[in-house]
Amino acid sequence: MSEFKIHHHVSALMDQLNVRGTDTVGAEVYTEMLLKNTTPYVTTNVSANQAKRKIAESSKTPIEFLAKYDDLKSKNVRELDSLTFLLSKVSDDEQTKEVLEKTFKNKAEAVGATIQAHDIPQLPPGQKYTPQAVMDVQMQIQKLKEGPAVSQITSSEMLRKALREKQDSRNVNVPAQPDWLFQRPALTRDFIVGMEAPTDNKIMPLGNLPTMMQEQAILDDVLYCMQGIEGKYILARALPDRYAAREFMIDQSLDVSLMEMVKRILPLASNYSIVVRFIEEKSAYEYGMVNHALSAAMRTLIKDYLVFIAQLETQLRGGSLSLQKLWFYIQPSMKTMDIMATVANSLNRGECIGGAVLSLLHEKTSSLIGDEKGQELCLYLTQSACVPYFEILEKWIYKGIISDPYAEFLVEENQTIDREKLHEVFNHEYPLERIPVFLEIVAEKILNTGKYLNVVRQCGRDVKCPNAAEVVYTLKEKKYFEQIEKAYNYASKLLLDLLIDEKELLARIRSMKHYFLLDKGDFIVQFMDMTEEEMKQDVENIMPTRLESLLELALRTSTANVDPYKDDLKVDLLQFDLITQMFKILSIDTSMENDYKKYRSDPTDLHLSGLESFSFDYVVKWPVSLVLNRKALTRYQMLFRHLFYTKHVERQLCSVWVGNKSAKLYGPKSCRWYSAAFALRQRMLNFVQNFEYYMMFEVVEPNWHVFQTNMLSVSNVDDVLAYHIDFLNSCLNDCMLTNPQLLKIVHKLMMVCVTFSNFIMRLGHTTEVQVDDMLESKRRTEKGSDRNKFKTKIISEHVDELLRNENFERTIGNFDANFERLLLELLEKIMAFANHNSEVKLLNIVYRLDFNGFYTEKLEALGAEKAVLDASNHSSESGSTCSWPTSSFTTTRPETARYVPGRHQTSGRHGSSSGSIS
Amino acid sequence: MPREIITLQLGQCGNQIGMEFWKQLCAEHGISPGGMLEEFATEGTDRKDVFFYQADDEHYIPRAVLLDLEPRVINTIMNSSYSNLYNPENIYLSKHGGGAGNNWASGYGQAERLYEDVFDIIDREADGSDSLEGFVLCHSIAGGTGSGMGSYILERLNDRFPKKLIQTYSVFPNLDEMSDVVVQPYNSILTLKRLTQNADCVVVLDNTALNRIAAERLHIEAPSFEQINQLVSTVMSTSTTTLRYPGYMNNDLIGLIASLIPTPRLHFLMTGYTPLTTDAQVASVRKTTVLDVMRRLLQPKNMMVSTPVTRHTNHCYISILNIIQGEIDPTQVHKSLQRIRERKLAQFIPWGPASIQVALSRKSPYIPSAHRVSGLMLANHTSISALFSRTLQQYDKLRKREAFMDQFKKESVFKDNLDEFDDSRESLQQLVDEYTAATKPDYLSWGSKPADAAEGL
Repeated sequence: MSEFKIHHHVSALMDQLNVRGTDTVGAEVYTEMLLKNTTPYVTTNVSANQAKRKIAESSKTPIEFLAKYDDLKSKNVRELDSLTFLLSKVSDDEQTKEVLEKTFKNKAEAVGATIQAHDIPQLPPGQKYTPQAVMDVQMQIQKLKEGPAVSQITSSEMLRKALREKQDSRNVNVPAQPDWLFQRPALTRDFIVGMEAPTDNKIMPLGNLPTMMQEQAILDDVLYCMQGIEGKYILARALPDRYAAREFMIDQSLDVSLMEMVKRILPLASNYSIVVRFIEEKSAYEYGMVNHALSAAMRTLIKDYLVFIAQLETQLRGGSLSLQKLWFYIQPSMKTMDIMATVANSLNRGECIGGAVLSLLHEKTSSLIGDEKGQELCLYLTQSACVPYFEILEKWIYKGIISDPYAEFLVEENQTIDREKLHEVFNHEYPLERIPVFLEIVAEKILNTGKYLNVVRQCGRDVKCPNAAEVVYTLKEKKYFEQIEKAYNYASKLLLDLLIDEKELLARIRSMKHYFLLDKGDFIVQFMDMTEEEMKQDVENIMPTRLESLLELALRTSTANVDPYKDDLKVDLLQFDLITQMFKILSIDTSMENDYKKYRSDPTDLHLSGLESFSFDYVVKWPVSLVLNRKALTRYQMLFRHLFYTKHVERQLCSVWVGNKSAKLYGPKSCRWYSAAFALRQRMLNFVQNFEYYMMFEVVEPNWHVFQTNMLSVSNVDDVLAYHIDFLNSCLNDCMLTNPQLLKIVHKLMMVCVTFSNFIMRLGHTTEVQVDDMLESKRRTEKGSDRNKFKTKIISEHVDELLRNENFERTIGNFDANFERLLLELLEKIMAFANHNSEVKLLNIVYRLDFNGFYTEKLEALGAEKAVLDASNHSSESGSTCSWPTSSFTTTRPETARYVPGRHQTSGRHGSSSGSIS
Repeated sequence: MPREIITLQLGQCGNQIGMEFWKQLCAEHGISPGGMLEEFATEGTDRKDVFFYQADDEHYIPRAVLLDLEPRVINTIMNSSYSNLYNPENIYLSKHGGGAGNNWASGYGQAERLYEDVFDIIDREADGSDSLEGFVLCHSIAGGTGSGMGSYILERLNDRFPKKLIQTYSVFPNLDEMSDVVVQPYNSILTLKRLTQNADCVVVLDNTALNRIAAERLHIEAPSFEQINQLVSTVMSTSTTTLRYPGYMNNDLIGLIASLIPTPRLHFLMTGYTPLTTDAQVASVRKTTVLDVMRRLLQPKNMMVSTPVTRHTNHCYISILNIIQGEIDPTQVHKSLQRIRERKLAQFIPWGPASIQVALSRKSPYIPSAHRVSGLMLANHTSISALFSRTLQQYDKLRKREAFMDQFKKESVFKDNLDEFDDSRESLQQLVDEYTAATKPDYLSWGSKPADAAEGL
């Protein structure tokens, strides 16, 4: 079962039990726990029996429970053992019991009526709820979950109408049985009861005859009954329900010893009746080919049986048959009939069809070990019943075709879904009850085998399995496993070859990596250069076609040009930015949801810029879309947007660098004003670049290597899928995209960087404009040769003046404090995270960012401060906010303070000089 | 629309290393001396258009401008097999051809007069590129043309293209042996002022160290210019490898140098390369690993800048970028970084975060290499100031005697006074001071002190 499915069940159960997810224990915690602790097939017969006993002991109504258990068991309900096991565990666990009781009480009060409607044993309110009661409830819940199949078993309806309805729900086109079949009651080998039979008045009570005569007469009757015809002295009773055993009325005046003998023989007739009824019923279309085959096999046996009766009759007519002899002769037949009747009964009760029939037969055969004759018989039945099923199987595993008119096979074809979307179906699960027990282990393989062949067929290739031998059911040798194995190997290899050789899957994935994981850096740089203007705008104002054409241009003029799949790359503008997307995904049904809501209080007022909503998309054609499906693509997109944004931030910071490079012309005087800004820019750049290095060279690239090595040894497509998703998932994980806390901080850090670059660039821009104005006015008076020197001077003075502005210093200080706080928070969180989890990869960022120990001291200081703050009951958040600025400004403050008078002097002097210029 | 880079080669030295550089690039990209793509190189995934453009007949032309005031070196180039590679319009020889006579002032003065002609070429080249990223200047700082003309061109480039990057590969003179250029210190100091103020990134190629490396590492008794220039071209080509063989990161010049240069003036970079081999010496193949390469790069003997042996303990790295080429398992990089950090093999600045950035790059598939991994280090190290201090000392010695001043006084720059000398000296001294200050934790507030001192005067 997939993780999501478990998650779903867990939350459904929690809902059911009224358990509120708290911050610490949400559904995902349980899911994780379950995932870790799941070990398949833990329940054995022994443990189930023990569990059964335990429940019975602790229950107030053990007899009812055991009856229920046996009832369910006889219906061959799967999961029964596991359920018993679970219940016994529950009865052991006082705490759970308590919770369940409480929940049940609440539930009973709230929706008592509806529960009653569902046949739950009524419990008078106020009564102390015993574990048994709880268990009953659980049983009911379980039953409800198991759906209509079980409830129909319990229903005593014996109408075909109901069956028809079921057929409809099974979506099988079954031809209707002709009406005459039902109108003519005599069309049966079973007893016909209640018909207007010509009453023979001559019948005398047997008691009046001599014993010899009595024996002859009753022998005659017995032989009749054995083939489903009422005799004179033995009459059949009408059936209370469709599957009931036939009962007989024997003339009471019969001699006692004969009577006893007849009574011993009559079960044969009763069994015969059951078997014949079974054969007749199951031969109808809707019961499927397995039942047909089984019926046919039974019919063969019945035929032999009838021949045998004919021989008996000959003996009777010849006068050499006595009741004792008959009893002796029919011993083997009684056994046979008994087995057949048991089988028929179980099948009837379980309403088995297809795989379920085979399961039951298989179990029956296995259970008859030691009884050679009986086993042989069962084997015969099973083998015969298996034939049609295995024919379907052969077609499926050798050719990839399903021809399963009665929906018996374990794989179901869904033709309404179109081809391009098939990858979703590709992973669909098959109904459990359709799998015969003996094929359970290989069910997955069977499904995949056909699936692969099916895909290959859909690609227009002919499938010819080289070792397509007939599959035959055997009890012990399991030859069919080998055959399935062979077919599976062939199919998986075929599809894998198709994908990898013909459709060049690996080249495709490599191409995806070029674009989505920024492997082709020059293309990205070029694309960013060209789309710079577009990206700044709001999404609504961007013309996707223009982006498309720019993309095309960038592709053609970069090294991406040699990639044969470059034309499949498309532009996509999504309606949400990455952080929203990630939070949406991550916050489903978790405690983070609130965090997210807090974080983005109103998502509607968002104005996404092109950059934020931009993503690549990739056209994937069938059958490559099997691997590169939507899920994978979305993951690629998430990674891409993350990387792309980081790249963008780096670019911004680099532009700031270029804008600031002229600063080297200024005198060292002004240096002190901007050095703080430079240092901050450098720290940002250091962070962003190291973050990029980390993501690209320590996350993507190694994971890619692992993926590639895995791909070398891959043997089937499902492995390819798994490896590919693994690759993407570990990339997402290690890039912190799956950790909302870290992601949030990273995102904020990026925001600070971008705001800072915008601020500096705006500043640079205004400076330039003003300086140009001044130059313009100055040009007339000054000589051209001195112009440059002069310009430099003006700029440096102007910058001096601008920067001297208290505002500037404060703004930079703010940026600095913000950045520092966030970065330290990030580092701290990562370290804490790495301490709690075995995941050490994230620590590499800390190594990189703190390579020269620059942040170590600050982190320590922060830690110490936090400890102090915690002691004085302050929130850590505000603690870290104020901690850094104080520590950083202690170094700079005193000096700036000391030079305040000098600063005034210079500003005054500059003021006067600029005054003289203008 | 790549981020193009235009290379300017100035003077004897500049043109010689430039020529080696283009030879190397042509070999790496599979371009024949005539500019045509070789048969085997048509399927490449490299970027040739950063440094080359294609003429109408498909042949590749370097984005290079060759400038000299005397014809000797350029004539050699034009007589070599690579003569057809360059665009003849981009080769400019001064008409009178007399050279600058190893006089900075003469080179500067001549360049001033040739301004129009030279910038015609540069403008044309710049207009021919869609999104010019910057200029690379090859020159020496000791001679006349490279230093003088180079200085003038640097100043003008900065005016005309204020938003473009200017990177220089500057050859510093060999201080171990007597130079034939006696006014070397004068030339150097005047050029260094321009390099400080007008270049964005200076890759220092110290002839002293290059000779030492040739002698010690490559065991060449008397290294020839060509052998030295081969070293230089290796450095130059490797430092541009991430631009030409794009990968995840560092695919533009700015991305390369922005992180290396935290404050605008401290932009003098040292280089180191390992493993070094010459053609004759391929036999001694070592096993190379990433850690091995990165550790070797941190050893002073592999640095192509000679810093004094008396290692000031407080000199430190401002930043490091390692460009590693070859077959690399990316997980090794992290392990190596961790090892270097644990062993404290590199000392970093105390006033900001700094780390060894490692750019992994592909190698040219057309040049066989005996080594699995090779690496280039670009480092911003404060000890480079020692080089400037030495120049200052030599300058002061000469200046005290007023030696050889006559040649300089003849030129227009020094016609009226020698202020330019004092100015340059002061600016260089400031640079040395700033580098020294950068070793201390309070570097960020350094600027205020000299300012205050100036205020007091």
